[in-house]
Amino acid sequence: MAGMGDVRVEESLHVKIAEAKNLVTPSVGNGGRNTFCTVKLDGEQIYQTSIAEKSLNPFYGEEFRGEIPRKFRHLSFYVYEHGTKNNKVIGKVSLRKQELYKYHGKDHWFPLIPVDSDTEVQGKVHLEIRFGEFLSTEPESLTSYRMIVKVVESSDLTVTNGACNPYAVVTLSYGKSRHKHEVKRTTVKKKTICPQFDETFWFSLENRAHQHDRNNYYIEDMFDAELSVSLWHDDTRVSREVLGGMFPGVFLGEMKISLTDLTSDGVHNAWYFLRARDNWKNQKQELGSIRLRISYTSDYVFPSEYYDHLRNVLLASSDTEPITSSAAYIFGDIVNNKQDAAQPLVRLFLHQGRLVPLISALARLEISKTVDPNTIFRGNTLVTKLIDELMKLVGLPYLKDTLKPAIDEICTTHVSCEIDVSRLKEGENLEDNMNQLKHYISLIFEAITCSGLVCPTPMCEVFHTLKQVAQQFFPGNNEVRYQVVSGFIFLRFFAAAILGPKLFDLRSDTQDEASHRTLTLVSKAIQGLGNLVSTKSSSLGLKEDYMVPVFVYMSDASHVDAVRMFLDIISSSARTNSIGGEIEAPIILKEGMMRKRAQGRKKFGVKNFKYRHFRLTNQSLSYSKTPDEDNLCVIPIEDILAVERLQEESFKMKYMFQVVQPLRVLYVQADNCVDEKQWLDILNKVCNTNRGRLKTYHPAAYMNGHWLCCKSMESGASGCIPVTGGLPITDIQVSIDIERELEKIHSLLLNNIEKLEQMQDACATQEVYAGEESLDYPKIEDTKTCFETLSKILRCVISLEQEHMQYRKLVQRETVLGSIDTPIGDDSLVFPSDTKL
Amino acid sequence: MSKPPNDNVTTYKLVVVGDGGVGKSALTIQFFQKMFVQDYDPTIEDSYIQHTEIDGRWCILDVLDTAGQEEFSAMREQYMRKGDGFLLVYSVTDYLSYENIRNFYTLILRVKDRDNYPMILVANKVDLVHQRKVTEEQGKELASQLRIPYIETSAKDPPLNVDLAFHEVVRVIREQPVDLKNTRRRRRGKRRRCSIL
Repeated sequence: MAGMGDVRVEESLHVKIAEAKNLVTPSVGNGGRNTFCTVKLDGEQIYQTSIAEKSLNPFYGEEFRGEIPRKFRHLSFYVYEHGTKNNKVIGKVSLRKQELYKYHGKDHWFPLIPVDSDTEVQGKVHLEIRFGEFLSTEPESLTSYRMIVKVVESSDLTVTNGACNPYAVVTLSYGKSRHKHEVKRTTVKKKTICPQFDETFWFSLENRAHQHDRNNYYIEDMFDAELSVSLWHDDTRVSREVLGGMFPGVFLGEMKISLTDLTSDGVHNAWYFLRARDNWKNQKQELGSIRLRISYTSDYVFPSEYYDHLRNVLLASSDTEPITSSAAYIFGDIVNNKQDAAQPLVRLFLHQGRLVPLISALARLEISKTVDPNTIFRGNTLVTKLIDELMKLVGLPYLKDTLKPAIDEICTTHVSCEIDVSRLKEGENLEDNMNQLKHYISLIFEAITCSGLVCPTPMCEVFHTLKQVAQQFFPGNNEVRYQVVSGFIFLRFFAAAILGPKLFDLRSDTQDEASHRTLTLVSKAIQGLGNLVSTKSSSLGLKEDYMVPVFVYMSDASHVDAVRMFLDIISSSARTNSIGGEIEAPIILKEGMMRKRAQGRKKFGVKNFKYRHFRLTNQSLSYSKTPDEDNLCVIPIEDILAVERLQEESFKMKYMFQVVQPLRVLYVQADNCVDEKQWLDILNKVCNTNRGRLKTYHPAAYMNGHWLCCKSMESGASGCIPVTGGLPITDIQVSIDIERELEKIHSLLLNNIEKLEQMQDACATQEVYAGEESLDYPKIEDTKTCFETLSKILRCVISLEQEHMQYRKLVQRETVLGSIDTPIGDDSLVFPSDTKL
Repeated sequence: MSKPPNDNVTTYKLVVVGDGGVGKSALTIQFFQKMFVQDYDPTIEDSYIQHTEIDGRWCILDVLDTAGQEEFSAMREQYMRKGDGFLLVYSVTDYLSYENIRNFYTLILRVKDRDNYPMILVANKVDLVHQRKVTEEQGKELASQLRIPYIETSAKDPPLNVDLAFHEVVRVIREQPVDLKNTRRRRRGKRRRCSIL
């Protein structure tokens, strides 16, 4: 069983701030105002939208995603009116943590409530409450009952106008409707949000009871009272000068407790959360509303071994026949939102190096159901979502590297590219706009088509698989191999990123309407590039008329060839080390004559230099005597571990560089500095993603029994200086928290446990009424294996959930309500006791 | 045939939504160009405008053909805010696209903050009888649950119900209670009104 320290809590938040409507701004006038919205965790601002201009129904359309590193009670959204001098708050939505699940993942309109000191409450207060009998000085009664309240300290108080001079007010309310008060207050502490008061107050309880009725039930009577402790900020200047000292200060929060909730014996020593004053709810002020979509998840992640079974069941997916009986497929099938399923799956399988077989199997299934190659991978299915998620997971640095300069130019220059005559503004010239648009398109076209070699390896591996599967199913169709790849890299990656640069981390700001229009046009054109490889010219004239010249401009052979070459490179098998895969036609990247030193196959003798014709393809570097002769030597790309310049001293020759392989080094001399640079650049690009790529190298050669650079005698000694460039920024290893992903899968499975059971029933039903399709459930391909997998999944989920329940019980036992970490007065921090099983 | 009058013509912004590959563009192009495109490329966002006469009243149809892929879902909100009526399209050969209709439907209602909005359910590709996965009953069942009209279409020549689908949305928009239309317009209104008198 998991102990307290074994389980970690991972919380994450994904918020979409869509739009607001009917805003009532503090400024006079009915005109629209510039507004923006912020997200706060308790009092701390964690996100701010861009400013939406001049509207009382502003559209923000922004999303925020993040991990929450600390405990919190409230998630709030504030809408502000943006002013030149200061920002005025319009209203807020404040949601308690424990009610967030109600809104999970769905769009909701929330009414704004006023922001004032009554609702802006945070912090907690530490009290000691005791009851005691003591001898009264009054002669009539022998004993007297009293309550002793010690205000110990308070923490995390709200700062008002940059200051916090807190004091506490202790009130005992009693009488029929608790209209009578006995009020005591502490001294004011200056400039602190964590004041230490240590002040004790006595409340005599008995006397009051006696005043009414001296009967035997006085104890019940005297407990019919309410204790409240409120915290205030002493705003002396305002209080004294403006309000003549009548104003008590700024309300910071209060706690209320009925004395009947306290037992009369012992000491109540506890922390209490401060709460908002109740009366704000009475105000019926219409401030407008805001549409939000909030997804908050909190996962209790267990140590790795707890997930072993689940992991094994899932990882067996790619070997399961048929794939529809695999755990991954079933998981994707029962989860409504395919993206939710794809996110943890892609991470799990990528981390375990099993993504390619899984995608291959799922792609096969999907293609087998596709009748028309034209609609291949168009829908939102598990496999397309897996590839989307993969591209987002490993492709963002690559995307940034490729597109950011062009996108930045578009977003900052603000030159109109409108080519739709009906939308032209006055003074705009269609021809100028068209040229500008072509300029942007060619910028992005160049960037994309030159980026093939730095496309992250996992993406290339998947594209390669897709291409193979597509070719198998549509052997006669030459376009389909390009189409399957371009359908992802262009449609779902480049075009989508150009249209929404913020969502892909390319820009931090939101685009104004003009830039957005330009981006839309460019995105359409870039998708057009992706389509080039498969388009039959027949559909060209049927698109929007004004786009036709753009597509015609791009349809020439040079564009088409460049796009095809790019798609070939990112889907080639060179980097995938596939075993048994058929050999593809290599793509020539560079060739030319250079001098090379003999590679030292012979142990003795003079090592000579000879002119050879070098040829670099996306699969290998080779050389031959002349371009037409057979290769003398072929070095596969994956064997190139580093490509670096060589110090002139080694051979007393200029323009030398070295191609480091596992067992030897090839020394090559280029003709001139330009040629050398070109070879170095392209070789480096090609080998950058190699798994065995070196981190260090020797800048000089190994001669006469030692390395000239570091004098190491060992010929196999690892390099003495780091390789230049290092790993490409586009291929950074992503860190994956595998247990957390498995926990996410577990909780999705748990939430859909009824569907798993239904599916099991469907298997059984279909088995009994062999062949007959049940109307309620789509046909299951193989009932026997499917039933087996379902049983395995259910076993994993149930046993994991039992661990969760045990852990919840343990935590509940260990949690001390009223401690500084778990104050009284808010249930959000107490472990949820819901049982899903 | 009467000539399209130049002013006092209402513009209807129609939006065609649905999963990728269900034939949104094929429907739209069939409606505007009277042609069927066999191999149509994925759409990012295309818009088409046409003067047309529906039930004897002239109007301008401003139709937005959208991307079905979820990567573009952030852009969806923008056009959902602007649209006056929606065609929710699925392919009868693709069960998943049928299941996804509900997501479009609820998102539109959320964005509009209304209980109902002019929409129609379009079951496309009914010509592909042998590959049909979603029955007419299932389509009608969904439509009645969502309380919107149901139309079966085929964009392939000869087209089936394509014009009808677009015209039907306009009818639904026109049939809306007047007060709803007005409140919406006022809310949106950019024209300044005299507020003092």
